[in-house]
Amino acid sequence: MSPQDLTAKAADSITGWLNDLYRDLGTMSGEVGLLLEAALGDRTKISKRDLAGLREKSTKFLNSHSDVVGAGVIFSISSIQDAEGVLEWWFKNDDNAIEKLDFDLAPEGNSFYDYEQLPWFSIAARTGQQTIAGPYVDYLGFNEYIMTCTVPSYVRGNFIGVTGCDLRVRDLEQVFIPMIRSVPGDAAILNGNENRVVLGNSGRFLVGERIKNRPEGYSLVPLEVPYLNLSLLCSSRPG
Amino acid sequence: MASLPALQSQIYRTLPALERADTIAQRISTAISLGMLREGERLPAESELSEMFGVAGATLRDALASLREQGIVETRRGRNGGTFVVKAPPAARDLMQRYLAETSIAELRDLGDEHAAVTAATVRLACDRADPQALDRLEQLARAQARAETPEARARADSRFHIELAVAAQSPRLVATEIRLQGEISQILWTPLAGVFDLETAAAEHLQLAQAIRRDEPDTAQRLALEHIRRNIYHLIDTKLSLSYSDRTQETL
Repeated sequence: MSPQDLTAKAADSITGWLNDLYRDLGTMSGEVGLLLEAALGDRTKISKRDLAGLREKSTKFLNSHSDVVGAGVIFSISSIQDAEGVLEWWFKNDDNAIEKLDFDLAPEGNSFYDYEQLPWFSIAARTGQQTIAGPYVDYLGFNEYIMTCTVPSYVRGNFIGVTGCDLRVRDLEQVFIPMIRSVPGDAAILNGNENRVVLGNSGRFLVGERIKNRPEGYSLVPLEVPYLNLSLLCSSRPG
Repeated sequence: MASLPALQSQIYRTLPALERADTIAQRISTAISLGMLREGERLPAESELSEMFGVAGATLRDALASLREQGIVETRRGRNGGTFVVKAPPAARDLMQRYLAETSIAELRDLGDEHAAVTAATVRLACDRADPQALDRLEQLARAQARAETPEARARADSRFHIELAVAAQSPRLVATEIRLQGEISQILWTPLAGVFDLETAAAEHLQLAQAIRRDEPDTAQRLALEHIRRNIYHLIDTKLSLSYSDRTQETL
């Protein structure tokens, strides 16, 4: 295979894996919307009693995606009744059992998790499209080095928050390294929202680094996952 | 190889149960003073805690008993029972005073050395890795710090800024190290003992540091960070000296 073909093949594998993940997030988001619509009846604001079925949805998502560590629904402040925020988020603990994640939502508190400001929420809210954030250290949240994938969720056409999942950077490595290893020369998956390396196929580009200026002799191959702004940074003339 | 056995026995020596209980109590009380555990919050069950800390139930109960004695936690029986955080550990002048009296100048300098080494690397990495959003947050934190009123709020704002630097540097290990260091430094720095630590200067230094990172000037950022930490440690040493050696006049009081 030519170097171009090898690169295209790697790009296809990565794109395919992510498109599958986002398809499933989209499905879950749709189900969440219908569930809340039924629970709400004539009311417009979501309250605690409407959230009963969400645990099951998240559990199902976690159990059917072995590389995903956390999943759930996070509500926009404007969509909820009487609360400083609602995060219905579950994660797999060390024993692979599913637990609910607690957040500090008191704005005056020192460890306030101001989630509407975080890119995985704010970008999905602003654009109305799926998005990806990180890698980042989720301080005050899951407190690990992760990426977060989200899709906007709606009830009767109104934005209510995001449905999403967390992936540990170390687990993503397991998924993507076999795909990107075959790209000739030094290459990396880039998150274009932050110009940040997600994963490199060598020590040349390290996870978490920002590529502020494209190095000479390298070009970007877009990864065709809608709206994520991901690309493969790879050598223009490998060999 | 001759020195190895001695060295190894030092490394692998077992921790006495009492020391372990103290360490656990200290860690929980630090977490509370840093705001990572809040008043009213329930701690995990005793069995879970002893498993997580990797200690026997008795050791854990000693640790909780010591926290109860200090009035920091309360254990309630029955349904909805458990151990609850009831108040922040006293930003106790007494406690801090005792710490300074017991800690040598060499140890304070060494604490500063470790913080300087960690922060120098952290800010250099942050220059490479911080995105505009992380930089906005750092500047917001520095500005908010200037408005913090109580010693406790100042200590929390100070430590939050340093921890977020490590978050911006994308390193989970540096975040963990910084949390530990802040547990040792921030409370003692902001408890008014002999003269109040200057809030405006500290906040201004944080802001300058964030701006140097935004301009991607690692040398400037490192220099600012080192000067900032050196000033912190001078303050601790000055405080120690003016508290313990009263022959000098204490103009700052």
